[in-house]
Amino acid sequence: MAVIPEIKETTLSLNAIDKTYDMGVEQVHALRGVSLDICRNEYIAIMGASGSGKSTLMNIIGCLDSPSAGAYYLEGENVAAMSENQLSEIRNRQIGFVFQTFNLIARASIFHNVELPMIYGGIPRGERRRYAEEAITRVGLNDRIKHKPNELSGGQRQRVAIARALVFNPSIILADEPTGNLDSRTGGEIMGILDELHAAGQTIILVTHEEEIAQHASRVIRLKDGEVESDLRVDDTDACIAPSESLHLVGGATS
Amino acid sequence: MRFALDLIESFRMAIDAIRANKARGALTTLGIIIGIVAVVLTLTAANGLRDTFRQSFSAVGSDVIYVSQMPWIMMDDFFNYRNRPPIDLKQARELESKLQGRAIVNPYLGERRDAKYRSEIMEGVQIIGTTEKQLHMSSAVPATGRFLQPFDVTYKKQVCVIGSEIREALFGSANPLNQMVKLGRTEFRVIGVMEEQGGSFFGDGPNFDRQITIPISSFVKAYGGRHGRLNVDLAVKAPSSESMEMVEYMVIGEMRNIRKLRPTEDDDFAINKLDTLIDTFNNMMGVVLLVGLLVTSISLFVGGVGVMNIMFVSVTERTREIGLRKAVGARRSSILFQFLFESAFICLLGGLIGILLSAALTAVINATLMPASVSVLILVIAVVVSLTVGVVAGFVPAYRGARLDPIEALRYE
Ligand SMILES: Nc1ncnc2c1ncn2[C@@H]1O[C@H](COP(=O)(O)OP(=O)(O)O)[C@@H](O)[C@H]1O
Ligand SMILES: [Mg+2]
Repeated sequence: MAVIPEIKETTLSLNAIDKTYDMGVEQVHALRGVSLDICRNEYIAIMGASGSGKSTLMNIIGCLDSPSAGAYYLEGENVAAMSENQLSEIRNRQIGFVFQTFNLIARASIFHNVELPMIYGGIPRGERRRYAEEAITRVGLNDRIKHKPNELSGGQRQRVAIARALVFNPSIILADEPTGNLDSRTGGEIMGILDELHAAGQTIILVTHEEEIAQHASRVIRLKDGEVESDLRVDDTDACIAPSESLHLVGGATS
Repeated sequence: MRFALDLIESFRMAIDAIRANKARGALTTLGIIIGIVAVVLTLTAANGLRDTFRQSFSAVGSDVIYVSQMPWIMMDDFFNYRNRPPIDLKQARELESKLQGRAIVNPYLGERRDAKYRSEIMEGVQIIGTTEKQLHMSSAVPATGRFLQPFDVTYKKQVCVIGSEIREALFGSANPLNQMVKLGRTEFRVIGVMEEQGGSFFGDGPNFDRQITIPISSFVKAYGGRHGRLNVDLAVKAPSSESMEMVEYMVIGEMRNIRKLRPTEDDDFAINKLDTLIDTFNNMMGVVLLVGLLVTSISLFVGGVGVMNIMFVSVTERTREIGLRKAVGARRSSILFQFLFESAFICLLGGLIGILLSAALTAVINATLMPASVSVLILVIAVVVSLTVGVVAGFVPAYRGARLDPIEALRYE
């Protein structure tokens, strides 16, 4: 074993992930041999042309989808071996999703939207209230707690979605083009919130095709046709040499 | 804890969904409402029939055989029975002496006459001429005064025992004892009032409260001449219910002897029993239940299909929401449960409306047709039935929602 200068905990580790969609006549290779190690408190931007496999990768990391081949370890656990209910629990506790289209429940109040993950997590009412209020305050919407989503602007809705994603203190926040439906100023505000979360120790992976947005991240992974084209660290403060890195050859991970 | 939270979240979802689609929900529940009304009314009617039946015949002993010219329930053409020779008093006495010590035989005759006391008249009252042995035949006893005694029969006393309704109609609150009532053209002295027995099951059937009993000898004297030959009915009481069958067998044999029937001839008299009535009643009950069941299942089926349809719409409409819920950690079972809950909730609402409607209809039935009331058991059945329909009808849509792939669900437009 090589001597490792500074070991940061690996949050997740992807090893030779393939994702193939069988479309009858032909097969679509959405991902081909993607290997990545991501450590705690990394701030990663995934970039690439449309159809390059960014969303597919995010869905696999978020345990919404399973790879056709390859291994995925999340917090040291083999995701492929997990039951349907265990996957639900992972999505519930370890993953916070932020979608391009917000995906709030229209009929429910901001508060209820944010407490929803905790309901499925079986958290008692009092704690739910406390955590939800805390999360809503963090995204600066404490005066809108009883409003419905349709009473908010797009930027505010995305902030609600972020509050919902972070309310359970997840291992990773996954944001798939979180600013895609917002104008650049509002998008900047959203990025400001993500920057703050990162500064507070949150691991964040976001998908974007805007260089400007990607600059917020400290590591940029570029996909092309389902393969990692490049994996660059913008700054090294969060860099990690994961223990697993020494066990397999990683094509993309450069430092 | 998780289950309780699921329950609360499901409740909230169901309320939201129903509130958002009031008109649609109301239409869907129509089938359920009709189905539940059918369930409740069927069971209520069945209960009412049974109670009325029990009440009407509580005074008829189950260990008594009635021998008559005609059966109570005619399976055949009436004219086939009408040509039979009547049973006369002589035959009655013969049977009595043959069965001496083995069974009690009590003859009785009936006619309808107006009953009159001072200015009060009751029209077409059933007058029964019988003997003191009537007391053995039923559980009815006098509330005040006394029943007929052997010497009333022997000496053709002009005395009568009246039913509770007669007492009310003719005497009101006055004391009827020793008052003279006119039955047809003959005056009788009231010697007793029978205990109240309860109403009649069949509109024109035996109603002990609305009849007047007099000695059979006085009956023959007062009314016997009018229609020529008398047609006596005989009540035969077996010593115990176990010996019923044997007594019936003896009665048939003796009656065939008395009426000089050849072995090849059919009986020209009828044996009537409470059992016969119970059979008829059970048949009636069977018809009521069958029709009720049919209407109930058809409307519940239609209602269930409607609810299933609505639930498919509901699941489809909320595809993205299901995807989102799964993305934030909802299990399949949570989603399944949420939609089952919604479906059951819709049906329960329909069921409750149905129950209210049936309660109103039952009140109408109670006021017009027969005594009827909705029992707690029936309410419980109605609630269970509507919940069951909800769960059954909601299962396939809910299962489909629960099995949705979260990514596809989130992408659904
Ligand atoms: N459910 C699916 N069925 C078939 N092909 C799919 C499916 N999802 C994604 N793909 C294909 O996989 C490739 C990668 O898609 P995606 O990950 O959504 O790309 P991106 O998010 O980078 O635009 C595309 O070619 C897309 O058409
Ligand atoms: Mg995409």
